[in-house]
Amino acid sequence: MDNFVSDILFYVFAAFSISLAMLVVTTRRILRAAVYLMCVLGASAAFFILLGAEFLAGVQILVYIGGIVVLLVFAVMLTRSVDLLEERPTLVRKAIGGLAALSFFGTTALILTSTTFPVLRGGPLPPNNTAALGKKLLDYGSEGFVLPFEIISLLLLTAVIGGIVIARKTSVEKGGN
Amino acid sequence: MNWEIKTVAMFASEALREGYLGAAGYIILGVVAIAGFLAVLGMVLIYAERKVAGHFQCRLGPMRVGWHGVLQTVADTIKLFLKEDIVPFQADKVLHILAPLFTLLGTLLVLAVVPFSPGMQVADVNIGVVYVTAVGGFGVLGILLGGWSSNNKWSLVGAMRAGAQIISYEVSATLALLVVVLFSGSLKLSDIILSQEQGWWIWRAPVVGLVGFVIFFIASTAEINRTPFDLPEGESELTAGFHTEYSGMRFAFFFLAEFINMFIISAIAATLYLGGWMPFHIGGLDGFNAVMDLLPPGAWFAGKTSFLIFVLMWFRWTFPRLRVDQLMRLEWKILLPIGFVNLIAAAFMVMFGWYYGN
Repeated sequence: MDNFVSDILFYVFAAFSISLAMLVVTTRRILRAAVYLMCVLGASAAFFILLGAEFLAGVQILVYIGGIVVLLVFAVMLTRSVDLLEERPTLVRKAIGGLAALSFFGTTALILTSTTFPVLRGGPLPPNNTAALGKKLLDYGSEGFVLPFEIISLLLLTAVIGGIVIARKTSVEKGGN
Repeated sequence: MNWEIKTVAMFASEALREGYLGAAGYIILGVVAIAGFLAVLGMVLIYAERKVAGHFQCRLGPMRVGWHGVLQTVADTIKLFLKEDIVPFQADKVLHILAPLFTLLGTLLVLAVVPFSPGMQVADVNIGVVYVTAVGGFGVLGILLGGWSSNNKWSLVGAMRAGAQIISYEVSATLALLVVVLFSGSLKLSDIILSQEQGWWIWRAPVVGLVGFVIFFIASTAEINRTPFDLPEGESELTAGFHTEYSGMRFAFFFLAEFINMFIISAIAATLYLGGWMPFHIGGLDGFNAVMDLLPPGAWFAGKTSFLIFVLMWFRWTFPRLRVDQLMRLEWKILLPIGFVNLIAAAFMVMFGWYYGN
């Protein structure tokens, strides 16, 4: 009975996600595209919840909706006005775009059907998988992921410092121009 | 004392084993409860704000409609319902209509996890604190979209200010939340409350708890655009900021979200630092604790939250509005460094067990 409900929910969210993803690339108003994108990302958070990964779903919303989409909207606000519409793509551009999308879909579908995904560990999920995730990330044994975690942290720190350096006011040279 | 956590979501998942109807019933119950609570709380808070504001200025506030004006907000709500809903001609209509709904959605979703008392909570999600921070993002998105889609300079400037302000202060608020997560070792709100049975984190974690609480309270006040951080609306500078072009019910949605957000940050601050519904306990003094337990947990939650809401209203009539550059300096040069140091200090204290009741 549980499976039936989650199956229905999966198909509802899948249909929602696909149709809005189509709208993201077909709409001529760029800010509406951002809103549709937000809905698509929200639907992916729903998929994570259906898979039992609440923490990932939370992070998905936190990072993508609260961070990336907000920054996108912010950037659009600085540059575009409501009245401006994207120009209609020419037939050639449409064809090339369609071809690219189709080939990407083909490749993905081929890989998904030809690969068998091994189940790393059988049995039910641990009841508190957020804590399990945290322990895995900081575990330096053979099962842990502390090295990738630290490398990514370092990369992000570098990006933050880089951002500050770029945004910093540079002092104007005296007399020069 | 043994507290048993019961939530509507738990009842729903139990009922799902029996059949769909029962589960659907519980879900509808949860949704209706939140919606009703939202509407009633909004009216109560607006009345309280006007009364408090009045008395701070040696006025009486609303007095005419009903006893001491208690029906004033009801009358105002009816007025807002009847007002014409105007969408500017040059606006992006779809986004103009959706924007207040996004803001209200962010507020509603947080309300679903607020623990009112051990048996009164709609859902007790595993990732509580992450969830609260995450769905708050819808609020800023609604404000940005509303300001942009109005196609009005004041709205745009207000929305830009709101975006910059909310994104900046979210950092400090999250750092302060992490302090409590470190001490209690859980993201789940009910676990965080249960971890405060021997005392609230604001004093069980010496200094660090108090600093975290103050940072969280200041940063969240900025996040919900309340005075002294009301630059996005700034009546004297921007007409009404991002909601200049809104009228009728859509304006009411923004307004409602703002007032409910005030409740939410008070409730979250009370839950994390002041023990939520947990009565005032001192570890070891069993007799004293038993006396404190006489008051039901719901009353403790309501008391703490209302006190914090009163403090927020008090802020409004005490501090003048900040300038944009002062706002940014306060966050990036003052709150953020303190927040980082506080978090690192908290990590050491947890590691060596330097806190009361350990």
